Amino acid sequence: MIDVANLTVKFGGVVALDDVSVRLTDDVIGLIGPNGAGKTTLINAFSGFAPVTGGRIRSNGRDLLSMPPHARARWGLARSFQAVQIVPDLTVRDHLQAVLDGKGMPRSDRAAEIDRVLEFLEIAELRQREGRFLNQFQARMAEIGKCLVGGPRMVLLDEPGGGLSEREMVCLRRVITRIHSEFGAQVLLVDHDVDLIRDVCSVTAVLDFGKLIAFGATADALANEVVKAAYFGR
Amino acid sequence: MKPNFRSALALLFFCVAIFVLPLVLGGFWIRAFTSAAIFALAAAGVGLVYAQLGLINLSQIALIGVGGWIALRLNFATDLPVFLLVVIAGLGTSALGALFALPALRLRGLYLALVTLMVAATFQILFNAFQFPNGGSGFWGVAQQSGQAMRRPSIATSDAAYLAFSMVWLALGLLLIEAHKRSAPGRAWKMIRMSEANAMAAGINVTWFKIWAFALSGFLAGTAGALLAGALRQLDARSFTAIEGVLLFALAVVGGVYSWVGAVLAGVLYKLLPALLNNLGVTSDLALIVFGVALLHAIMTAPRGIAGQFEALFQRKDKA
Repeated sequence: MIDVANLTVKFGGVVALDDVSVRLTDDVIGLIGPNGAGKTTLINAFSGFAPVTGGRIRSNGRDLLSMPPHARARWGLARSFQAVQIVPDLTVRDHLQAVLDGKGMPRSDRAAEIDRVLEFLEIAELRQREGRFLNQFQARMAEIGKCLVGGPRMVLLDEPGGGLSEREMVCLRRVITRIHSEFGAQVLLVDHDVDLIRDVCSVTAVLDFGKLIAFGATADALANEVVKAAYFGR
Repeated sequence: MKPNFRSALALLFFCVAIFVLPLVLGGFWIRAFTSAAIFALAAAGVGLVYAQLGLINLSQIALIGVGGWIALRLNFATDLPVFLLVVIAGLGTSALGALFALPALRLRGLYLALVTLMVAATFQILFNAFQFPNGGSGFWGVAQQSGQAMRRPSIATSDAAYLAFSMVWLALGLLLIEAHKRSAPGRAWKMIRMSEANAMAAGINVTWFKIWAFALSGFLAGTAGALLAGALRQLDARSFTAIEGVLLFALAVVGGVYSWVGAVLAGVLYKLLPALLNNLGVTSDLALIVFGVALLHAIMTAPRGIAGQFEALFQRKDKA
């Protein structure tokens, strides 16, 4: 459970997030909004990359904003990036290993943990492949793999579906819906693909110009007149 | 090349360097090879920081000097065995190297290069002002006349044995780097090079691992300095100028920063080539022109250095 209270982020004079308050309790939560609405900024505020000027983010009484970014990751806040961050000369296994290095998991359990994640993502055969030899979908899966190792509490996925084909989207959909049952982590999914959001998210938050304009059951949020106006204009 | 074949080649190289070279070379070449091995060790440090983090450090020469200073200072103040002197010089210098990492936490590229160049220039002035200890009295230990020499380990008092001694240190230093590359620090450095946000999001303490890379590089420079003091028996402040720091970095790039072969090539170019030119009766300044051409070549066509080109050559043969 994550509790966001009065969160404000400013870049100079631009207010990217304006007094956002929301309680995230569901297993898979959608986050949508037009371009520039502040979706990625919200994720960056969670991970510690955005200049938060006011408000709080708490999880089970733990104040996330007081922790440096790497400490948040070790605590269990995992995120993927819009532009996948796969190192050309590092194998898939070593990407996941790098995440585990900081988490203090006993050495003997690491190989099994990595195998579990890679098999879940159905990329176990790519274990030894270096980043530069991965195609876009494989890189995306490896990126999600980095989020799943070592017992994440919250997984933030920033447009994981960007540039994927129909068939690849089917795989991605299956992966996202099973993250909570398999790893026990909450998922916050940012995407432009409304079908994806409708299929996998029980609740959805909608941002527009840095303000939270709707939050609730996905079907209701998508049917909301204000949301329609924000997307399509009046 | 298969990994096993690679390791076998490395083993063969160091067996020849440690056991054969000291037996077959003459006095002049033994000294030249010793210097080359020592500077290869220092070049491996600069190369590590550049390859793993993409950071340019031009102050390695200053750290070599500091390592030499610590070794000489302790040499005259204590009776510690030389092996320990080298280790202590390495550790002391690595602490200073970690301090040099502080600007690198905020700067990169040209600006960091300029800062490290200024650091090197500062140490150039300090070395010239205070000189290296040579058995004199007081903290700085500089005697005006008839300075004493740095000790050598009892197993390596002759020049030939000292060459083997230096080669062993080079092998150990390169192994230390390899061990880092294959474990947590190596993975962390690669993630940081991809992007710092990526590394932080993966739970990697970017500050710590940057400092660690500089400390490791400093350790190698410090041991190199201590070994150099033993090789030459005395250090001359005039050898530790900022321009030499630039040269050492440039040659590390020319040799290739991604493999140990590159560091060895850097040492060869830096110390053996001028010796070779001298031996042929040509001015060793000609080496600077060669270095300039080699650097242009590296920047334009061989970003992985000469070592990378060798590797590509072998890979092509594997496929054929």
